[in-house]
Amino acid sequence: MKLDTKNTITWCPGCPNYKICEAAKLAIFRLMKNGYKQKDFAMVTGIGCHAKIFDYLNIGGIYGLHGRVLPTALGIKLGNPNLHVLGFAGDGDTYAEGISHFIHACRYNNDMTLIVHDNRSFSLTTGQGTPTSQSGYKSKAEPLGLVNLTLNPIKLALVSGASFVARCNARNVKHTAMMIEKAIKHKGFSFVEILQDCIVFNLDINNLDKNMHRVENKNNMKKAMVLADKWNYDNIKGKIPIGILYQARRKTLDENWPQLVKLKKKKVGWKRI
Amino acid sequence: MRLNIVIGGSAGQGINKISGIVSKIMINQGYFTFNYRDYPSIIRGGHNFNILSISDKRVGSYESKVDGIIAMDNNTVKVHKKDLKKGGFIIRPDDFLEYGRNLNVALAGCLIKILGFDKKILIDEIKKELNNKKSINAADKGFEAEKKIFSLKKLKNKINIMSGSQAVAIGAVNSEINLYIAYPMTPATGVLHELAAKQIKNGFMVFQPENEVAVVNAGLGASFSGARTMVGTSGGGFDLMCEGLSLQGMSEIPLVVYLAARPGPGTGVPTYTSQGDLNIALRGGHGEFPRVVIAPGDPVEAIEKTNEAFYLSEKFGCLSILLSDKHLAESEFSFDGKAKKALKVKVNRKVPGECIVKASSYEHDKHGNTTEDASITEKNAIYRLKKYVQIKRAAKRFEMIKIYGKKNSKNLVIGWGSTKGAILDAIEGLDFKFLQVLYMMPLSEQIKKEILKAKNVVLVENNLTGQLGRLIREKTGIKIEKRILKYDARPFLSDELRKELMKVR
Repeated sequence: MKLDTKNTITWCPGCPNYKICEAAKLAIFRLMKNGYKQKDFAMVTGIGCHAKIFDYLNIGGIYGLHGRVLPTALGIKLGNPNLHVLGFAGDGDTYAEGISHFIHACRYNNDMTLIVHDNRSFSLTTGQGTPTSQSGYKSKAEPLGLVNLTLNPIKLALVSGASFVARCNARNVKHTAMMIEKAIKHKGFSFVEILQDCIVFNLDINNLDKNMHRVENKNNMKKAMVLADKWNYDNIKGKIPIGILYQARRKTLDENWPQLVKLKKKKVGWKRI
Repeated sequence: MRLNIVIGGSAGQGINKISGIVSKIMINQGYFTFNYRDYPSIIRGGHNFNILSISDKRVGSYESKVDGIIAMDNNTVKVHKKDLKKGGFIIRPDDFLEYGRNLNVALAGCLIKILGFDKKILIDEIKKELNNKKSINAADKGFEAEKKIFSLKKLKNKINIMSGSQAVAIGAVNSEINLYIAYPMTPATGVLHELAAKQIKNGFMVFQPENEVAVVNAGLGASFSGARTMVGTSGGGFDLMCEGLSLQGMSEIPLVVYLAARPGPGTGVPTYTSQGDLNIALRGGHGEFPRVVIAPGDPVEAIEKTNEAFYLSEKFGCLSILLSDKHLAESEFSFDGKAKKALKVKVNRKVPGECIVKASSYEHDKHGNTTEDASITEKNAIYRLKKYVQIKRAAKRFEMIKIYGKKNSKNLVIGWGSTKGAILDAIEGLDFKFLQVLYMMPLSEQIKKEILKAKNVVLVENNLTGQLGRLIREKTGIKIEKRILKYDARPFLSDELRKELMKVR
C-alpha cells in the first residue's frame, strides 16, 4: 500500500510542509522495509497548517483538536501499546494551546513520537504570533510587535524529561527523514522539532539557514542543555544546532504498567484480549 | 419502625467507621439502612457528620429530627441538639477518651447496646473488620457502658449496602471496561478510587493524566484503538471536557462519560449535592450531535444504567453521559434486590492495527478525508440526526422511566436521580404516584401520557430552576406549574418533602 493519498494538497505553493510530509513518508517507508506494518501506524494531528498532513499521508489516526495531539496520542497508545503512534503538531498547537500536555508527555515517557512543525506563527488563522515567534514580530493581532519572551521548547523538553530530543530544518528532507526514523525507533517519548518558514507570514528561518550546524549528543544532559542554550529562538545571531540533541534510555510508560506489559507480550490491543 | 441517628465529629476522627460497622451489623440483622454523609472541604478538623437511618422497611433518605446523637466531640452535641427528638439519646466522647484512635469503635459499641443487640454480634463484626485487641476491647467497653433503649429483633431480609460510586464501578466492570481515565474531582473521585482498586484483579487499567482536557482526548484516543473506555468528572471538569465531547460527535468514537454533579456555579459547594448539571449534560459541546444522558437514582439502577451507557455508546458510536451527583455517589444505600444481568458490550468496529482507520474532528467523507463540500456537510448532518432517531428506538428496550406509589393516583410527582429515595419515603402511604425519569435524552414519550392522565402534577428537583421541568416542557409543550425545588446544597429530607407534598396536593 502506498503512503500517498489522492487528496488535493492545499498548502501554499512552496510551503516547507510539503518537505516535512516527504520526510515523514520517507521515514515510514524505510521502517516498513524493516518490518513495520503500515496498519500499525497511528497518527494524531492538531489543527493548523501542519494538520493537513492527515489527508496526505495514508496511515490511520485521528484528526484531533487544536492543542490536543499529545493526550489523544497517549490514549491511542493506552488502547493498544503495540501501535506506532506519531503526533504531528504545530507550534501554536503544542507550545500555546497544548503546553501543559507537552510537559506531561515528556514526563510520562510514553513510547510515541511528537513532530512539531514549528513555523513560528499561527498561519492558518493568518499569522498571529506564537510562543516561538521572534520578539518584535508583527501581525494583525499584534501590530505593536511581540514583547513576550520567546519559549525555548528544546530546553523545556529536556527539563521535563523527554528521552529523545532532536531538531531539524524542514528544507533538508534527508536529514529530517533520518531524525523522524530515529525518533520512531527510540523507545520512549521522542520529540522532533522541525524549524520551517511560513512563507507567507514569517520568513525568519530562511535567514537563519546558514547558522545551522549538525550535532549529535547522546546521554549527556549537561551537553544537551548547552546545545539548547546556543539559540533562544529570538536572537538572529548564534549557531543553531540541529540533529539529536539528547537521547537516553528511560523506562517507558508501557514498561511501567503491568496491564500494558501484558498487551505488548500478547501483541494485541484491548479489543483482542 | 424508623430511626435516625447522627454520628458526628471532626474530619479525620473516623465517623465513617462507626456508621460502617453499625450499618453492617444492621443489614446482617435484616434491617435497611441509609447513610447520608455531610462533610465540608476539610481533611482534618471542622465538623463532619453522618445521619444513619435504620428501618425495618426499605429506606432511601433521612429525616430532620433524630432519635440519637453519637458525638466524637462536644461540638457535635452543640450543633445537633436542636434536632433531637424528645427523649432522644446522646452519647458523648468524654467517658471513652482513653481509647484514643478507637474512640469511634467504642461509640459503635455503645450504639449497638442501645439498639438492643447481643454483644457477640458486635464483637464478631469488630473481629471481621479490625481484628485487633485494642479495638475489640474498646467495643466491649462501649457496649458495657450503655443501657438498652430499643429491642430490635433479627429480621429475615437479605440486604446489601453500596454507595452510588461503588455501583457505577460495578456497572463498568460488568461492561468489561478496559480503561477508566479521570482527574480527581469531588464527587466523581469515588469511582476513580473504586476502579483503581479493582484494576489488577479485573484486568483493566485506570489512568490519571494531567487535566480533564487530557482525560477526554485520551479517552477518545483509547476508544479509537478499541478499548471500552469511560472517563469521569464533576461539573468544572466536565466544562473542560466539552470540546472533546464535540469531537466525539464528529468522530463518532464511542465514549462513556460519568458526570457526578455538585453545586455550582464556579467551585460552588464542592462536597455537597445538587442536580444543577442536567442542562450541561444535555447540551455541553458545540455543534449538533446525538447523545444519551441517563440518570440512575439508586445503586441497582447505577449498575444497570452504566452498562446501558456502555452498550448504547458502543453500538451507535455515540456519547453516553451517566449523570449522578454527590448524594447518589457518596450516600450508602441498602437494598434487597439485584441488578439485571449485564448486556455484552461488543467492539465490532475496525480499529488501528487491523487496517487503516481514520477519524476526524473535521467534517469528512466516508474515508475520513476532510471536506468542506456543502452536500456532504448536509448529508452528514442529516445522518447524525437519523442516528439519534435510531438511538431513541434502541433505548426503548430499557427502563427509561419508572412508576412507583399508587398506580391510579391522580397526584403525580415527577423527579429524577438521587431524589428518588426521599420521594419514595415521602409519599409512603399518601395518595401519590411517582414518575421517575431515568433517560433524560432520549426522553420517554410515556411522560406526556402520564402527565395528561394526572390531575395534579408536582415537579421535585434538587436545583434552582427545575431543569427536568424545562426539558419536559421543551419536549411535550407542557409546563409543570407546581414545583418543589431545593437549592441549599443539601438533599431532600423525606419528612420535610412529605409536608411540602401535602401542601401542594
